[in-house]
Formats: sequence, C-alpha cells, structure tokens
Amino acid sequence: MDKAIIKLDEGTTCTAWNYSGHRLAAGSTDGTLSIFDSTDPASSVFNCSSKFKVHESSIVKVVWAPPEYGDAVACICADGSLLLWEEVVEDSELLQWKLCKCFDRISSQVLDVQFGVSQTSLKLVAAYSDGQVKVFELLDPFELKNWQLQAEFQNVIESVSKFGNVSCRSASIAWNPLKGEIQQSSFVLGFDSDTPHLNSSKVWEFDQDHQRWLPVAELALPADKADPVSTVAWAPNIGRPYELIAVATCKEIALWHVGSNPDSDGRLSVEKVAMLSTHDSEVWQMEWDMSGMTLATTGSDGVVRLWQCNLNGVWHEQATLEPTS
Amino acid sequence: MPGLTSESDDLAMVPVSPESEKQPVVIYPLRHGLKSPIHRLSFSWACGNTLRVSVFRKPPSEKADGDGEAGGRVVEVKLSNSGDEEVDAARWRRMAYSSVTPFALLQSRKHSLSAASRMSLDIPPYKAEWWEHVIEYSKEISSLLNDRKPPPKSIIEDPKSVVNEIAAPMCLKAAWELLEIFYVDKQSQSWIPERLIDWLADYNSLFSGTLPTIHSKLVDFQQELVGVQVVEEDPNYWDAMSSALAVGWLETVVKLLRLHGSYRFDQLSSRETENGLVEAVAVLISKMPRMRPGLREDNLGECYKTKPDFMKAWEKWRTQVSKLDCSSYWLQCDHRQTREGLKNLIQIMLGNPTVLSNATFNWMELFISHFLYIRPFTAGLESMHNSAQKCIQVKPVSISHKLFGLVFGILGENTEVVLAECSRSFGPWMMAHAVELLTAGSTHADILLHEEHSKLGGVSIEELHRLVYAQVLSSHALTWQIAPIYLTSCIKQGIGLLENLLYKQPVQHSQILLKSIEICRLYELDTINSNIMRIAGVHHWKHGRKGSGVFWLQQARDEFRLNRIAKQLFDFVGKSVSDEGFKQWEGLIELLGSESRTAGGLEFLNKYRDFRRSLLQVHGDTPTDAARNAAEALVSLMKNPSTPQRFWLPLLYDSLKLLMWQERPLVNVSQTHLLLNKLQELSMARLRPDFVEADLPSDALSSVRLALATNLGGAILEE
Repeated sequence: MDKAIIKLDEGTTCTAWNYSGHRLAAGSTDGTLSIFDSTDPASSVFNCSSKFKVHESSIVKVVWAPPEYGDAVACICADGSLLLWEEVVEDSELLQWKLCKCFDRISSQVLDVQFGVSQTSLKLVAAYSDGQVKVFELLDPFELKNWQLQAEFQNVIESVSKFGNVSCRSASIAWNPLKGEIQQSSFVLGFDSDTPHLNSSKVWEFDQDHQRWLPVAELALPADKADPVSTVAWAPNIGRPYELIAVATCKEIALWHVGSNPDSDGRLSVEKVAMLSTHDSEVWQMEWDMSGMTLATTGSDGVVRLWQCNLNGVWHEQATLEPTS
Repeated sequence: MPGLTSESDDLAMVPVSPESEKQPVVIYPLRHGLKSPIHRLSFSWACGNTLRVSVFRKPPSEKADGDGEAGGRVVEVKLSNSGDEEVDAARWRRMAYSSVTPFALLQSRKHSLSAASRMSLDIPPYKAEWWEHVIEYSKEISSLLNDRKPPPKSIIEDPKSVVNEIAAPMCLKAAWELLEIFYVDKQSQSWIPERLIDWLADYNSLFSGTLPTIHSKLVDFQQELVGVQVVEEDPNYWDAMSSALAVGWLETVVKLLRLHGSYRFDQLSSRETENGLVEAVAVLISKMPRMRPGLREDNLGECYKTKPDFMKAWEKWRTQVSKLDCSSYWLQCDHRQTREGLKNLIQIMLGNPTVLSNATFNWMELFISHFLYIRPFTAGLESMHNSAQKCIQVKPVSISHKLFGLVFGILGENTEVVLAECSRSFGPWMMAHAVELLTAGSTHADILLHEEHSKLGGVSIEELHRLVYAQVLSSHALTWQIAPIYLTSCIKQGIGLLENLLYKQPVQHSQILLKSIEICRLYELDTINSNIMRIAGVHHWKHGRKGSGVFWLQQARDEFRLNRIAKQLFDFVGKSVSDEGFKQWEGLIELLGSESRTAGGLEFLNKYRDFRRSLLQVHGDTPTDAARNAAEALVSLMKNPSTPQRFWLPLLYDSLKLLMWQERPLVNVSQTHLLLNKLQELSMARLRPDFVEADLPSDALSSVRLALATNLGGAILEE
C-alpha cells in the first residue's frame, strides 16, 4: 500500500508535485531546486532530471504554475524573495531551466504565493509579511517575465483605513479550483499576524465591471475573527450547489459552506459546518482530493490525517498515516 | 478515499453507515525507511486516491558533516487498495476491465427502457424485461469473477478422493452469488434453501482459514484415509460422514460408505447383514427428496419441483428412515462402530438437533443442516432469519467472517447492514457493481440508494459509490481510461469528476493526449478538450517543438495564444532577413495559415512569405517574368497598410536587384513614386524617438534611394 518512490537529497526542505503528479520539484536549504521526472506515465520510478541553483538562500516553498503556461515554478526563499523559473528549449539548444522573473522585494517578505487561471490570463497572488496582498497579471502567455501589478490591498473586509506596521508570521492563499469559463476568479486568504483585522480568512472575487478585487465573504464567527489562520484549502467542486473551504486556525480546522449567490451587499452566505480537532497541534498543510470528498491535513503532530463526511453530514477523522521507519 | 476497515487493507472508504463517526480512527503506518528522526511531513494528492507524502528529516547541524543519509523520502500511499489479500493487482485490473462491458450494457438498457416506459421501470412488462437484463448482468459478472480454471480432472478417478479441491473460490464471488440468490434470481425464490446448500458446498473452504469447518475436517480425513486399513474402525470416518451428511454433501457420504470393509469380496459373506445395513443407509441417502428443479452434476437426491410433491415424498422418505431405524437387523450387526455410526447418520436424517449440532462446526453449517433435516419446508426471509439467530445462539462465533455478516444482513432484510458489509469487506468494485442487484431486488434498497443526500452535495448513495469506484480506477495509469464509463452514469457529479480527471492527465505524452481527446469528444466535453490541447500545445512550443505547438494550439482554437505566436514570428521576420532564418519560420507561417484571421500581422506574414519565395527564385539569368512577379509582390506589400513601417526599408533593401534590373525596369513610374514616397515617410519617421532602426548596413537607405532613382529614369524612358 505504501511505497517509497523518491529519495530526497540532504537538506531538502520542501517538495511540490506538478498538475498531473508526474514531476516533483524539491527545494533545499542551499537554494538548489531538483526536478524529478518519470519517463513513462505508468511508472512510479522517478529520476532527477535537472538540478540548479535558484537563489542564495534556502527555498521554503515551491509552487508549480498551471500547465497552460508551461513548466514553471515559483520559489519562495527564506529571505522572502520570490523567483519564477521555467523549463524551456530555446533556439534548438538543450532543455534548460532559466530564471524568468525575480519579483522586487522592497522591505517585506513573500509569505505565500498561488497561481490562478482566469478566462484569458494568469494571475499570481502573493501575500507579504507587511500584510499586503498583491495580485500580478501575466501580460503575454508565453512570456513569464512580463508581470503587471493588477491590485494591491490588505486582507480586510470593511474598508477601514490602512493598517501600518503590520508584522505577519505566515499567510495562506487558495484559489477557487473550478476551471469553468463562466466562473469568476476568486481566492481565499488568511494571515497569521499581529493585526487581528487581517487574520480571518476572506474570500476575494474579481469584479469585472469595476476591475477590482472585492471581499465577498469572511470565514470566521464574530468571536474568532482575530484568530490567526495557519492554512486554507478550497475544495474542488464537482457538482455541489455550494463551495467548501477548510480553514485551519490555532484552535481548530473549520469547514465552511459558501453559497454561490451574493446578497444585496454583494456578500456570499457562509455557514460553518464542521469543527475538526487539531489535536493541539499547528496545522501546516491541508489539501482536498480530486473529488472534494476527502480532506488531508498535516502539521506539527507529524502525521497525515484524512477527514470525511458521512451521510448525516458529520465530518470525522477517518484515518491517520503515521510515519514509521 | 471513502469505508475504512481494520480487517481489510483498504482505505477506500464510503461514508455509508451513520455509525462510522463512532468508529475508532484507523492508524496506518507510513514506512519511509529513514533512520533519523522525522522533522516534518508534506503531502500531495495524485490522481484518484493516491497520496504522496514527503517525509523530511531534520536538517543536519552545521558542524556535523553529512552522514550520507538521504534528506527525506517521498512515499506513495495508495489509499484504495485495488487488490487485497486474495486478488493481486494484475488480476484486479483484469476484473475491472472485464466488468466494464456488462456494466455499460446494463446502463444503456436501463436508459432505453426508462425512455420507453417514461421513466418508470415498475410497470409490469418493463419490469419483467429489466429483470431479465439484471439476471444476465449478474451471471456475467459472476462468471468473470471465476477466472481461474479448475485443475484438469485425472483420468483415473481416485476412489479415495472425497474432497474435490477446485480452484480456490474468491470471497468476492461468494458474496456476489449471495446477492444474486436473494435479490435477483426470482426463479429460484422457491428453493432458496437448496441454493444456499449449494452455495455452502462451493464456498465452505473460504471459511477454513479462520474457522473450523466441515471442509477442513474432510481435507484432514482425506489425508488420513490413504494410510488407514480398516476404515470402519476409525472414528474419524464416521465423524466425517455425519458432518458431510449434515450439510447435504450426499455424494461424499455415499462414496465414503462404499469404502466400508463389508463391501470387500473376502468379507462380503461373513458380514452380510452389516453390509445390508450400510447399503440401506446409502440408498436412503441417495434417494433423499430435494425441493429443486434439478441436480448439479454428480449430486444425489431426488428432485421435486412443486411443494406438495416434495412434501409427500419427504414424508415417505422420513417414514423409510424411521423404519430402518427401528429395524431388527441392527441386533444382528456385530460391528459396534458400524452400528453406532450408521445409527448416527440415521439420527441426522431424522433431524436430531443434538446430533446435528455435534456434526457441524459453525452457525452457518448448522443453519444449512436445519434446512435439510429440521425445517425442510422453510420459506421466507423472516423464518430463515429466526432460524439463523437460533443457530448463532447454539454456535456463537468468536471471529466473524465477512461473509457471515453479509448473510445475516440479507436475512435480516437490513439494506443498510448489507451495504455497510459489502462496502467494508468487499470494497469499491463490489459497491459500484452490486448496487444494481440490490435496487432490482428490493424496493427499500431502491429508495435508499437513489435518495439524494443534500449533506453529500445532492448525490445518491448509488452515485457516491460509482464516484468512489471511478476514483479508485483513476489512481492507476492502466485503469483510468475506464473510469469515464462509470462517471458518465452519474447524473449529478460524474462529469465534474471526469473533467478533473482529464485535467490531471499528463498530456505531453501523445498517447495519453489522444486518449483524453477521444474521451472528451465522446462525451462532448469541449471546454476541457480545448484545455487539454492547449496544455499540450504550450508544452511542445516551450520545448522547442514549434510545429506541434502551433498544431495543438490550432486544434484548441486558442486564438489568443496563436496571435501571440504570430506576433513573435512577426518580430522575428523584422529582425532577420537571412534566408536560413526565414526557412526556419516559413513552415510555421504556413501552419498558422489563414486560420487565425484575427491576427492582422498574419496577413502581412503570408504576403511576405509569398514575396520571399518569388524573390528567392530570381537570379541573374531568370526570365524577366519571374522578376516581374517578385516586383509586383514587393509593390503590393509596400502598398498594403498592414505592412509595418519597420519592414519598409528591409523589404526594399532585399529587393535591390529587382530595382536595378538590367534588361528593363520592373517597376513603372507611378509605382516608383509610391516607393519613393514611402522612403520619404521613413526618413521623417526616423526623427521620432520611438523609431526602431532596422538592422541593415548604414548605406542601405542611400543605395535604395539610388536604385529607385535609376529605376525611375529607366521607367520614364520606357513610357
């Protein structure tokens, strides 16, 4: 049932699989990125096909760009910089990975980054340690170096004045995974910061008419709004009439149903449907399976937990994967 | 994903029973093989139910040099085990593939029937037809579960072989047959007990691993039999026969009886009475009345199709058994073991509960023996259920077998229990396929399985099981292609999951790309189809296979990206005029063709290509006609408003030989004026800051001007 498929180099800090699960990018403390490939789609034998230095400092997170834009990864490094690398063959040369963009960082560090595919363009949301959120847009689908800053805002739902001197420990972004043409692009974002207003997860949707990003839902009960959010996960929707989003805070993992029709204020209806115990540990990662029926989580407890809902709508832990040597 | 159990190795869980929340969390080991302590984990879902967990060990401290151990491992965990202890992976895939056709056929028949009957299969003529289809489906699935061939029968039959070791039957097939007996096969409803007797005869060996069974007793005895001289003095001989008789394996008992020493020629005369009694019992056993339409090969008994006939025959047979029991011949039988053993067999036939209980080893065997000898006229699930409960009281099970749970659920007419047992013990394949049997056979099951659950996002349990099975199929590169058959039978969420599945295919592999496109076309998934081709196109383009890239982007009708490519070509053409560079791009311009009309630049590119071609054909000794054509192409290009300004000078410079044609001027006066005007316009434009200088020799402009002037002179003279 379980089988070790890849041996990671010493100092590996993070890994990321591409959209089809046939390529793995592994970042390490010395700033090197290794790419593992399987030659045959049916095989689970992976070999390191490329290894290159991305940056001087340690890589802390790797995110693959959507396949419609080629084979590219965004790397967040320990010093807070964000770099985009792409695999290309240029002018009948050999295949190589090349740096196509190094996003400017002035004073703050990049905490999380996620790509979102909209109708015509590729968007990139980055959350920074000063509480800022930036949305970049790709101008030319073949040129991963030309990004335009589309919007910059803070993760607050009421338009109050801007918060200054914010310090954030971590942030988590998840795009709505639906790939339909009608769907508006939207994402959910939460912070772990010293500013209570920024923390709670908010759903942001792009308003085509006014060309701006609007907060359409807040995923926190009034009493919990200041709770720092460690990670968020938006479930794939294969036919549910509502969206399902998981939000992990220091207290619990909450599952939210988000309605699809906005009210007169443009807000979406939200309902907290489950509270899953985090077993007094911090949740570092959550991911839904392809049907959106099983949620996998891991964190400081060092195990992977699988959660499911029964016919009565009750969510419960179904299984735990515990590492043994 | 979705009915974890601790007994099976299968994580594919279906949230069926509401009690599941009370069940303890199952803990699975994640064997990573690292010696050092684990620092942290991260994971990612792959296609289907596969989870890849990256296990990172603590980064070594700065001082210590690397100890040579890996920095971590990636472990792949298949959450749905497609193949358990009895079905290996390859066999499981074979089963998955061969069950597709019966399933698809049944679905299409359901569609056409519900169309004909206007959505209701309950109207009698349609219902009967539907039954036929379900029975056919059930038989076909059942036959494919039996893919192991029985060993060849030896030509010389071993007289001492009592247990036929047929190919190990599978639990899955046993479970499927149970469902068929109780839910589908309406024709055998009147003789369900006899079908259960056959069922136990076929599958008793399945229980041998976990429980004491008659089968294992017989196997043991058979081994012993080879060395035994006087069989009738061995108590095991009599025990084996009484056990076999208790569950109705009449032919085994008769065969064993005939091994009795009194049949031997040298003893026949001295043991005449004894032999007579043995034979009388054997005859009675072989004439036992059975309430069934016919017997299977080698089976003994006399069949009666109707209940009255059977009851009459049964009473008569019982009287004969009682008569033999009271016969005075017993007094003349000197052999004690024979006398007692035969009497015991008679007690079984007379339905003595204590003797039956002693002869059987678990409640299922006892239950079957009750059908045969205590309640031969049992009918209806309720009385069967009562009888089963009594048997469980007599022979409680310490280790429950998964098939027992299923039998008990069926007898109790508890669809939830049946579903839960099937799901827990037999996995997603069973659930996806067996639901058709349950819904056909029970109205309650039909309602339960088709009811939409809002808590599950609006799907029915039937659909949920198909989704789960499709996800299991999706987990493997060799089975994902059949998942669409199951997904398209799901009305609510099937297409959504199919789209996700297709999106996750590695389409840079051409075979997978073609298969995905085929699936998209079949189910009219145009958006995802374009997307797949777009991904393939971009991949090829970026990996140096420009032609394939353009081809797939055209197939995807991705005007946006094609226009970007056209613009790139355009920029390139403006930069380089060398023949070699042009050749490289010529094919692409060809490929881009006239399909993407929206690109203004493309019109120019096409014209430019034509011009280049005609120019390449012009040499010093070419006839003037060819040169004239090239000159016309040049003029038409220069006239065309879509020709960008930065191309003007390179175009003219490339055409110097046309402008200075020796024989006669190729460009007439008005055309030359036009070209001169363009040149003038260009000189003005050079003053603007955004002007891009063409990569040409510095004297390009003056040589063009000179050539045009020469040409003008010649043209004026000519006119």
